[in-house]
Amino acid sequence: MGGGLAAYVVQRVLYMIPTLLLISVLVFTLIELPPGDYFETYVAEMLASGEKVDPRKIEFLRKEYGFDLAPPERYFKWLGGMLVGDFGYSFEHELPVSAVIGDRLWFTIAVTFATIVFTWLVAFPIGIYSATHQYSWGDHGLSLVGLLGLATPNFLFALVLMYLANRWFGISIGGLYDPRFADAPMSWQKFVSILEHIWIPVIVIGTAGTAGMMRRLRANLLDELRKPYVVTARAKGMPETRALLKYPLRMSLNFFIADIGAILPNVISGAEIVAIVMSLQTTGPVLIAALASQDMYLAGSFLMLLAVLTVIGVLISDLALAVLDPRIRLAGGVSR
Amino acid sequence: MTRSIAACAGAVASLALAASLFVGCSDGASQPPTAASQVAPHAPQPVIEGVPDPSVQAPVLAQRVRDGTLPPLAERLPRAPRVVDLPAEGKTPGRYGGTLRMLMGNPRDIGQIPVYAYARLIGYDTRLELVPDLALAIDVVDGRIFTIRLRPGHRWSDGHPFTAEDFRYFWVDMVKDPVLGREAVPHEMMVDGELPSFEVLDTHTVRYTWKAPNPTFLPALAAPAPLMIYRPAHYLKQFHARYANAAALTATVNAEKLHDWSALHTRRQRQRRPENPDLPTLDPWRNTSAPPTQRYVFERNPYYHRVDSLGRQLPYIDRIVMEIAADEVIPAKTGAGESDLQARYIRFDNYTFLKRAEADNGMRTLLWLAARGSQVALFPNLNANDPVWREVLRDVRVRRALSLAIDRNEINQAACFGLAEPSADTVLPQSPLFREAYRRAWSAHDPDQAQRLLDAAGLQRRDADGIRLLPDGRRAEITIESAGESTEETDVLELVSDHWAKVGLKVHLRTSQRTLFRRRAAAGETLVSSFYGLNNALPAASMSPQELAPTSGAQLQWPKWGEYHESMAKAGQPIDLPEAARQLALYREWLSADSDTRRAGIWAQMLEHYTDQVFSIGTVNGTRQPVVVSRRLRNVPDEGLYAWEPTANFGVYRPDTFYFIDAP
Repeated sequence: MGGGLAAYVVQRVLYMIPTLLLISVLVFTLIELPPGDYFETYVAEMLASGEKVDPRKIEFLRKEYGFDLAPPERYFKWLGGMLVGDFGYSFEHELPVSAVIGDRLWFTIAVTFATIVFTWLVAFPIGIYSATHQYSWGDHGLSLVGLLGLATPNFLFALVLMYLANRWFGISIGGLYDPRFADAPMSWQKFVSILEHIWIPVIVIGTAGTAGMMRRLRANLLDELRKPYVVTARAKGMPETRALLKYPLRMSLNFFIADIGAILPNVISGAEIVAIVMSLQTTGPVLIAALASQDMYLAGSFLMLLAVLTVIGVLISDLALAVLDPRIRLAGGVSR
Repeated sequence: MTRSIAACAGAVASLALAASLFVGCSDGASQPPTAASQVAPHAPQPVIEGVPDPSVQAPVLAQRVRDGTLPPLAERLPRAPRVVDLPAEGKTPGRYGGTLRMLMGNPRDIGQIPVYAYARLIGYDTRLELVPDLALAIDVVDGRIFTIRLRPGHRWSDGHPFTAEDFRYFWVDMVKDPVLGREAVPHEMMVDGELPSFEVLDTHTVRYTWKAPNPTFLPALAAPAPLMIYRPAHYLKQFHARYANAAALTATVNAEKLHDWSALHTRRQRQRRPENPDLPTLDPWRNTSAPPTQRYVFERNPYYHRVDSLGRQLPYIDRIVMEIAADEVIPAKTGAGESDLQARYIRFDNYTFLKRAEADNGMRTLLWLAARGSQVALFPNLNANDPVWREVLRDVRVRRALSLAIDRNEINQAACFGLAEPSADTVLPQSPLFREAYRRAWSAHDPDQAQRLLDAAGLQRRDADGIRLLPDGRRAEITIESAGESTEETDVLELVSDHWAKVGLKVHLRTSQRTLFRRRAAAGETLVSSFYGLNNALPAASMSPQELAPTSGAQLQWPKWGEYHESMAKAGQPIDLPEAARQLALYREWLSADSDTRRAGIWAQMLEHYTDQVFSIGTVNGTRQPVVVSRRLRNVPDEGLYAWEPTANFGVYRPDTFYFIDAP
């Protein structure tokens, strides 16, 4: 099995190369598709705020940034840059893409992990409870709460929570910390300020994910609980908790591991809409703004980063599943 | 004809007189003398006694002088500082200190600070007259020879003298440089395709001479995004191949992954977007934060050239902190008291919320006049591709009918709480060029006359639904396109489509996105576009009337004619409508006019003809811009004009004179 697994891993990693190349072509094409380019967006924006723009200057900028080249040429320049770690230049920010993403990456990771932990802490007990107490008032009641979280539009929930937090606790609106800490290095006060702010996005994003996880855990667990081995365990007098946690719960967690593939790109992109409404210093708003203003290298490199993480995430979850669940066989090198 | 803009731009003084006034100024050099008495006619004589004591400068600077890290005030101020006559502007002398917080929606908005700061060689005052500011005086001969005199002793924010060398650097090392010249050539300085000749007369005097008059030169220097004809030469030479050590320059260029030194130079010298904390400035505040950051901190410039009427150096406020937040939450954050001065990203429909929040957060919400020709204006595209529609829209009767069909009163009540004024797309009553006739031109609600005009224009046939038919038999279905950026605009367009339906036109609304919207209009795919009206609705005769003539490809009513003019006949289409050609001819006449009286006459003709021809269809103007001001902040006028042009947003109200009442 060990040798088989190693060959499988190598094969999967090799498959990633053409996949990513294909994605890069796709990303570049998609970004090129809308009419116009960043400079046109820029001119339109200047005009909207009343400024005049000299078309000759725009023509000059276009040349300066290589927009007079044919698309394939620009594609290879961009791809070549990424291979050596140069993600290109953001026109909007007038900075290299890596500098724009910079710190935001860490805040995004913080928000996402806090959200994941929150989701697990809420969804697990409720999922187990509602599976073991199927169709009880508790099951219905808790499912209703979870579904409400799913059904409430995130942006609305975020606005309400922000307003209340400001009225009741005097917490500044939006952002992940009080504005006065913006350039300060990490300190205890800044950390406290982050804690004061982070719970709102965590609850807002978390409630949306909780319902799904709750219901899936409930469904998987219900499947397992009716299987003969559980009946046998009970018949042999195994305590109820152990009979629940030892096998059925573990069996019902496959979906969890399969989810890791989806978690990784989420960690980076965050929940964009909530982040925009709440003015979070995460990467989501940057991506959306870059797409809207056709800041193509920023948007393109960002999407590529997401693609790489998705591909890696899928690989990890496939491998984890193969290792953890002996029932999953590597049939002829094709997973699952 | 000789004109001097030394004292007051409106006044026409002789060169000799102006010169003698200023000789007197710069000679009494031991104490900071003032040019104030010449700046405003009724200014009281400023009181400055002996050597300035520490109370005439900010405590933070006085401390640095005591520590020996900063020269004393007398060495930092120009010998003739610009004296701001506070009582004349209805302001009071302020207290030093404090931090002004502002919210911005985008890192690029850092460019708003130089706009608010509004330090210009020559700038508009609140009466919209041109007054020298950084310059001591600008003498104009025949409208084509401009002599700019600087203030001796004036210094950049790093203490280096601001002299003719800084002008020479821009002219010789940037405009005339074979590499940098590709980008740096300013189109405002081209007259008939030619640049002026440039001379340095002495350390503090430079002269630009054109062969023909250039009336756009001074307004361009005073613009919110100004023509900048000087650069801090002492700082920039280290990035210029002609002066810098080649090896060091190449190393920096490579370290920043740029392709040559010109890109580095361009990036380091950007004054309108002051992201480089090392770039010396002449503004009241200088940026101290390098991007990327969510919070830009601007600290006071110790060498700033303006003083108040008591001879105390401006600005009063020590620091500006500009926080970047999502523009969607800016009204909410402002309502929560997180900004001390906010108008950007605040819309009229936030007014009620902000007014209610006033009590809790120590703010005042003022309503300034939004200075645009029309809040929402409709632009029939005279360059539309559809040949039938093009002919229909070029018929002045149709444009007049479209305007008469609109019930502006209803729009005012429904979309603007009745606070606006029904008007054609024209200048506001606050402009010296305003005439009631412009506002009234074809802007009454008269559907009957509209029907008659449409009938006469060949659209008299109707189908079974009562929709008019075009001359080729198609239904007169017209699409109004907009960039879809405000709900207010959408509301107005809904009303307009009702009004037009009543005279037999079927209207479709199409909202797209800014870039797409512009692109379609410029390509002639749009029949009628919706945008705001005249950008500068508060013009004086000396400001350019180019908005009223086909001069730019961005103009929505005649994009192809505008492009033709702009590209000097390389792109677009020549004008083939006499009425539009007349506007361009008048504009050319304005360019060569030699007096403001003559220019005012041309403006009047252009406005009269423009509104009579209904080249754009106005709805309402005189709408209000909420301005949220901290109750602690003083010297912000209760009533003001808020516009990009000509008031540079807050610029002409001089935020360097704003102060906090509770400052230490």
